[in-house]
Amino acid sequence: MKRRSFLKGTLATGAAAVAVNAGLLTPSTVLADWNAKAFAAKTTDDALNSVYGSAAAAASGDIKLKAPAIAENGAVTPVTVDATSMSGVESIAILASKNPMPLVCTYNFGAAAQGYVSTRIKMGETMNVIAIVKAGGKLFKAEQEVKVTIGGCGG
Amino acid sequence: MAINIRMRGKAKGGVAEVKALIKHEMESGARMNKKTGKPYPAKFINNVKVTVNGVEAVNSDWSGAVSANPYMAIMLNANSGDEVKVSLTDNTGDTGEQTLKV
Repeated sequence: MKRRSFLKGTLATGAAAVAVNAGLLTPSTVLADWNAKAFAAKTTDDALNSVYGSAAAAASGDIKLKAPAIAENGAVTPVTVDATSMSGVESIAILASKNPMPLVCTYNFGAAAQGYVSTRIKMGETMNVIAIVKAGGKLFKAEQEVKVTIGGCGG
Repeated sequence: MAINIRMRGKAKGGVAEVKALIKHEMESGARMNKKTGKPYPAKFINNVKVTVNGVEAVNSDWSGAVSANPYMAIMLNANSGDEVKVSLTDNTGDTGEQTLKV
């Protein structure tokens, strides 16, 4: 009985995974919650591919990325992404290039929100903070190096 | 356990910058306990939703790389008197929510 329900369970999840792979269901509808694959990705490109289906982002001067040049404490690095001058901003993602898992957070915006996010992130060492903005179906990015004097992933 | 959220924000000219300060340890699951040699179990907020008058405005996914006691500021198209609600969930199923009249 136990074995049977176990098999049933694996089959069911297997079927769901196949459906996702075949593109029948978009990941966002299946996983109302969390894109585990994107957050587990080890490189920025892999993470972007799982979130947006593409890692090709054009550098844009319209994104204002505000981060300190030197962060004394990597555990609390203030980062602000301001894309309010761009129209049709659908989503913003913040990545820390050399973190073990680079994707820090993604924000999806509805009609009542503007393309602006300010938050604080953890950074293990000196690296680039990357802001990805999806506007009008295209990806744009801004990058800035932050020197970290005390790493933040251990504490 | 309910997660504690403090919110602040005022609408001005149809735009409101809403700031939220959340009390949460944001344990990524990678930090080692030196005494036992085992990692501290992961406990971090992974989903944050913001609604304006019940309509979803922001849906955000976080990883354990967001700082402990997270701070978040967003810009919303809202008029004064509108009700902004932040609700969040962490990876262990704990939830928290808070509403604010901007």
